[in-house]
Amino acid sequence: MSEHDPSEHGPAARVKALEQLLVEKGLVDPARLDAIVDTYESKVGPRNGARVVARAWADAAFRKRLLSDAVAASAELGIAGPEGGHLVAIENTPRIHNLVVCTLCSCYPWPVLGLPPVWYKSFAYRSRAVSDPRGVLREFGVDLADDVEIRVWDSSAEQRYIVLPERPPGTDKMNEEQLAELVTRDSMIGVAKVTAPGKSR
Amino acid sequence: MSELGLSELARQLGCDEASVFTAPWEARAFAIALGLSQAGLFIWDEFREHLMAEVGASDRVRERDGTNRQGEYYEHFLRALEAVVTEKGIATRSELVTKITELQGPAAPHEH
Repeated sequence: MSEHDPSEHGPAARVKALEQLLVEKGLVDPARLDAIVDTYESKVGPRNGARVVARAWADAAFRKRLLSDAVAASAELGIAGPEGGHLVAIENTPRIHNLVVCTLCSCYPWPVLGLPPVWYKSFAYRSRAVSDPRGVLREFGVDLADDVEIRVWDSSAEQRYIVLPERPPGTDKMNEEQLAELVTRDSMIGVAKVTAPGKSR
Repeated sequence: MSELGLSELARQLGCDEASVFTAPWEARAFAIALGLSQAGLFIWDEFREHLMAEVGASDRVRERDGTNRQGEYYEHFLRALEAVVTEKGIATRSELVTKITELQGPAAPHEH
């Protein structure tokens, strides 16, 4: 290794040095970095996607618009931002279960789901979601009947996906806000189903 | 591969199911990358090319010998960030190493 290889140092030290160097060059502002971290740790997250799903369950015309143009439909709810272009919504049905992965890196629709969870980026998930989706789903607690087709969607820079899960039975009387409470991040990646309150998955 | 629930997978990765970062430096590296691209110093897709190359290199090592000596995702992310920063002439490797040394003294044998 050359003496100019930062990799010989630990990552925390490298990040600290990189930030300080960029601050000295006037290229980043620490307050701006704080704001980005805060945005993606606490503001942009799967609650946005849950609102989209709940609206689609409650409003058939919206659901149709979502499935034909997810970018425009989520913008109706004020949801947009980096890595939000090329969003596609894919619908689960009693016969089809959709599962999303990014095999090559970590492509993920930030405005609706936030940043991807650590496990989504792991080798274990990326390598097995494609080769054995049924096995992965079973291990994650989603048992699908043999006649349910599993479709695996490999995300890319050109295409990001949000799964529109099936609305659980027994939720007819719930309003949109209550429905959104039921929708989990995992269900919008396709590694879980949405369950009605009071029922275990 | 053995049975691996979502929580068990997350536990092996040192976090819980909902975590998007496992250490503060990861969040900071993410913010630097997004901040630089929003400031127009590179296009996010240029960064992504480096990220995919780093992830791919790490995957090939794992497929070959089962080790993760190239680290987990944010170590790939950081190498990709350093690569795009130096490629674009935003900073040189020499400047980076000099700054690291200035902040913490000479390289210690790998501390993660």
